Amino acid sequence: MKMEDVSLSSMDNSKMEGFAQEILSDLVEDACLGLCFEVHRAVKQGYFFLDDTDQESMKDFEIVDQPGVDIFGQVYNQWKNKECVCPNCSRSIAASRFAPHLEKCLGMGRNSSRIANRRIASGNNTNKSESDQEDNDDVNDNDWSYGAEKKAKKRKSDKNPNSPRRSKSMKHKNALLGPKRRVENQDSSCVLLRDETFSQ
Amino acid sequence: MSKESQMRAAINQKLIEMGERERLKELLRAKLIECGWRDQLKALCKEVIKEKGIENVTVEDLVAGVTPKGRALVPDSVKKELLQRIRAFLAQHST
Repeated sequence: MKMEDVSLSSMDNSKMEGFAQEILSDLVEDACLGLCFEVHRAVKQGYFFLDDTDQESMKDFEIVDQPGVDIFGQVYNQWKNKECVCPNCSRSIAASRFAPHLEKCLGMGRNSSRIANRRIASGNNTNKSESDQEDNDDVNDNDWSYGAEKKAKKRKSDKNPNSPRRSKSMKHKNALLGPKRRVENQDSSCVLLRDETFSQ
Repeated sequence: MSKESQMRAAINQKLIEMGERERLKELLRAKLIECGWRDQLKALCKEVIKEKGIENVTVEDLVAGVTPKGRALVPDSVKKELLQRIRAFLAQHST
């Protein structure tokens, strides 16, 4: 390499540094100009001040920082102590337990049908011990005893057999319990749906 | 001296041609938004606008009012990072 080339190819460090600073400065200036143009356009087009509101409204929606209350100022544990009356068994239930209670009380929802299936599947032996263990929500347990299997079936066919929910849970049960189910409930109209899927 | 300026010109050209300048611009923009610089400057612009009046404010007003402060307000960390990248590019391409 010739002397000239060497000096060309490596400016000394301070000059390099100066050059780098210059490039940076140009970039920053570009950024500033870009912002000014954006702002100017926003002002002239009328959308620059759109997100400002008057002081009064701003105060209305300020973040609330009090204990016992969320940032909107709403009380968030006000349902802790409230009690609701169950329309089915007319008992007074705590609000946070209300939904699960309704599930069992009305006999709808995944858990109550699972429990019912389990009981039917396991026969008469475990009848008493199970109803002791469960909380006394289930006043309707009487309907689910095994002597009254017909009653149980009747309850099932009372529900709309054509609703998608029913057919879904039927399919689900089908998968769990298989052929046994089929034999027991052949006169239930619900079975029609199941038979179709099963024969596939 | 002119050799130096020739070299500078050559590097600048490379910077642009290889798209590195564009990338650096984007990087800078992203960093400035992240660190809140953009919002600060917007607030400054608001002041200029309120001073001059919405109808009459020009680009020049804004630029003159805001750019010097804008340069000063760039955080050191952002400057450092960009300088690093620039130096790396220079080191790589200054032959």
